[in-house]
Amino acid sequence: MRLYILILTALLSHAARSQTRISGIVTTDKGKTISHANIVLATTYDGASSDSSGTFSFSTTEKGPFMVLFSSLGYQEDSLKIELSGKPVYLELKLREKYNELNTVSITAGSFEAGDSKKNVVFSSLDIATTAGSAADVFAALQTLPGTQTSFSESGLFVRGGAASETRTFFDGLLVKSPFNSTVPDQASRGRFSPFLFKGTSFSAGGYSAQYGQALSSALLLESKDLPEKTTTGLSLLSVGAGVDQNIRFKNSALTIGGFYYNLKPAFSLLKQHTNWEKEPEQYGSNVQYKIKTSSTGMFKWYSDFSNSKIGLYTADLDKQGGSRFFSNINKNTYINTSFQDYISRKWKIQSGLALSNTDDSGLQEDKTYRRTDRVIQGRVSLTNYYASLSSLKFGAETFSTKRYERFDGLSREYTDQLSAAFAETDLFITNRIVARLGLRAEYSSYMNAFNLAPRSSLGYKTGRHSQVSMAFGRFYQNPEDDYLISKPLDFEQADHYLMNFQYNSKEYTFRTEAYFKNYNRLTKTDGTGLNNSGDGYARGVDVFWRDKISVKGADYWISYSFLDSKRNYRDYPVSATPPFAAKHTLNLVYKQFFQKLNSQVATTYTFATGRTYVNPNNPVYLGDKTANLNNLSVNISYLTHIFRQFTVLYLSASNIAGFKNIYGYNYSSNGQFRQAVRPPANRDIFLGILITIGDNTFVR
Amino acid sequence: MITVFVLSLLNLNASAQTEKLRQALGKGLQQLGTAKNADDFSATANYFERIAQAESKQWLPLYYAAYSNLLAGITNSSKSAKDQYCDKALLQIEQAGQLSADNSEVFALTGYIQFMKMSVDPQGRMNLIGQSTASLDKAKALNPDNPRPYFIQGQSVFYTPETFGGGKAAAKPVLSTAVDKFKTFKPENSLSPNWGAERAAMLLNECK
Repeated sequence: MRLYILILTALLSHAARSQTRISGIVTTDKGKTISHANIVLATTYDGASSDSSGTFSFSTTEKGPFMVLFSSLGYQEDSLKIELSGKPVYLELKLREKYNELNTVSITAGSFEAGDSKKNVVFSSLDIATTAGSAADVFAALQTLPGTQTSFSESGLFVRGGAASETRTFFDGLLVKSPFNSTVPDQASRGRFSPFLFKGTSFSAGGYSAQYGQALSSALLLESKDLPEKTTTGLSLLSVGAGVDQNIRFKNSALTIGGFYYNLKPAFSLLKQHTNWEKEPEQYGSNVQYKIKTSSTGMFKWYSDFSNSKIGLYTADLDKQGGSRFFSNINKNTYINTSFQDYISRKWKIQSGLALSNTDDSGLQEDKTYRRTDRVIQGRVSLTNYYASLSSLKFGAETFSTKRYERFDGLSREYTDQLSAAFAETDLFITNRIVARLGLRAEYSSYMNAFNLAPRSSLGYKTGRHSQVSMAFGRFYQNPEDDYLISKPLDFEQADHYLMNFQYNSKEYTFRTEAYFKNYNRLTKTDGTGLNNSGDGYARGVDVFWRDKISVKGADYWISYSFLDSKRNYRDYPVSATPPFAAKHTLNLVYKQFFQKLNSQVATTYTFATGRTYVNPNNPVYLGDKTANLNNLSVNISYLTHIFRQFTVLYLSASNIAGFKNIYGYNYSSNGQFRQAVRPPANRDIFLGILITIGDNTFVR
Repeated sequence: MITVFVLSLLNLNASAQTEKLRQALGKGLQQLGTAKNADDFSATANYFERIAQAESKQWLPLYYAAYSNLLAGITNSSKSAKDQYCDKALLQIEQAGQLSADNSEVFALTGYIQFMKMSVDPQGRMNLIGQSTASLDKAKALNPDNPRPYFIQGQSVFYTPETFGGGKAAAKPVLSTAVDKFKTFKPENSLSPNWGAERAAMLLNECK
């Protein structure tokens, strides 16, 4: 027994003598103290937190060599080897800041990011949907951003002096051949996609990534949402029609089926129309989506939609007194987009996709029938290697199989093209404040038998916590439009972009200004000698954007101003002139206010643009005339309520409430004697809608 | 005699591991009980993290580290600090979930953290509301007797504006269920999660 006590006492006193005291201080590598840092002896519980002065101390009975692990929120974990022998240890621990949104630079030259919880976001997807005057059309909402022109009389986005065909839309990385509904003369049509399909929108007004090509002006990148959280039914009843969407959520996948029907006849009978409709626009369609999580990091998506629309109208025939020309169109559009992405290892990610687009237009142009079919099949694969903590290298290849068939008045022709491309691009973070994006893209077109090589580069430098400076240079190639290509294999059209921007982006304010110069070459021209690529042009200007989400309580507003100086000599222009889609000054004011007590949000948009040029045969100066300035004031009101306990949004939207008589241009008779103004289909547009979400008990009473 | 002594020492070692863990967790829970502000919760979170670092197979230290980090975020006035604490908590509760699958308490705490993360930027993070509800529903399904998913849901509804289906009237039935379940709930042992009863009762009182 005594031996027992003796041994025990010896052991205990030995333990007492072997207690080592560890103390120290935790600082950043610049010497600032860090509180709440965690210091621990690896594999033991022994450790402490650093206090408000960064100091810590604790004792341990452990002996021998041990690792001290230390970390703190927002800093990179680190470790240090020490020897425990009973002698007190004093440690000066240094931590390096972890890379996060606020201290890491990103590529911003030319681009506006919108989306939920994305880095560097300027708009949320709800912003796009609730911008007054857009009636939830992505493209219309984007027209309130700097660099874009209002286009009430033509479909598409006109960006920085570029024609509508020079802006392309990409859905999950794959090109969308026809993102707009069928086009009719002198009228803009809506985009096909609902903004609610997307979790992220990146609008690049220039200098975009080498991953994308075939767009001389800009790229609109749409990123679809991931799995819906639950099974819900969405019902929308609008003054123009109705739609239904059913989301069915399974364990790791989801199926969405939807359909819609629009008929503008009732609405147009109430709103006085300038257009002489023979058949008011009627459209129906359906979509099927399937998404499945193939692994914890992998996702496969299938999106397909089909739509059919009919339209018919009379336009004034200026060569015949009181005469009119008839135009009708039946458009059938099918679009399938599938994509797959996953991480093959910790540092490698693969993305691939396959898309099919088939658009068929037919109808009458006066008394002659026409038919046009466009089919594009695209396949794409890319690999990304994350070779450093922030830097990455992406490379891939894609191919487009294009076919166009045209028939007019008994004559037909067609062409097919196989466009193949390869690209490689690296985002090189020289430090966490400086990033360089260097890329190269090569394309080959079988129909034109032409090859191109396009360098792209961007540089970003983070000047402060919320601000950064960016520059970009890039070369962009695009096939001439199908209408010209079908006559003759031409060559790639080309544009060089030079951009410089400064951006300040915090949760409360965003200020952004960008200066650009674009040099166009090898644009398609038709002159006495036929079709060729002898056209050229330039566009230069400055965009300014200011957004404030905090100064006025419950309100959010933004102001965007663009100055554009552009001239081009292309198509049938006899000389270099300012095109109609390049207004010199454009100003957009968007204001949104949420009234909590009234459960509603009111948004208003005011747009001002200086006059657009138009061709007046009586003027020896080509495109020497300008329309009057354009003004538009739109309002929309959203009211949140419940119908049968289901979350409902009542939506009223009115454009041009002030009744400005806007003229977008003039059409002249062949002898130049008579002219008619090109005006919007109706002076005012009113749109009413009810959106009910059934089964989503997130917002249920 | 020496052999017996050595053998008893060895035995002491084996149960000393779990006993050591039990004691450490107990001390941590005491610290958690007396914590009042962001500094206290942060220190408590660090304490549990140190244990978690040494016990790579135990879910409970990670669970309490996540819970403490969540409370540190809630009591912190800076939005960016809130976000960072929520992110840390989310990471830790995910790790806890990997060590203990189909754990009702883990899902309940996950739902709580997701909701708090959403509240930092509601407009830009609406997708997290659905995720939070899904986590809480999973917690309810795994253990219908667990009062915490109901308490967390009731608290979220309490603080959600009436427009979006929230408010005191909407929260009352949920909190009522939570309070009833708290009365009959029996934790597995003295270290299992057993928090929320007081606050649930307090919120229910405010609904009356």
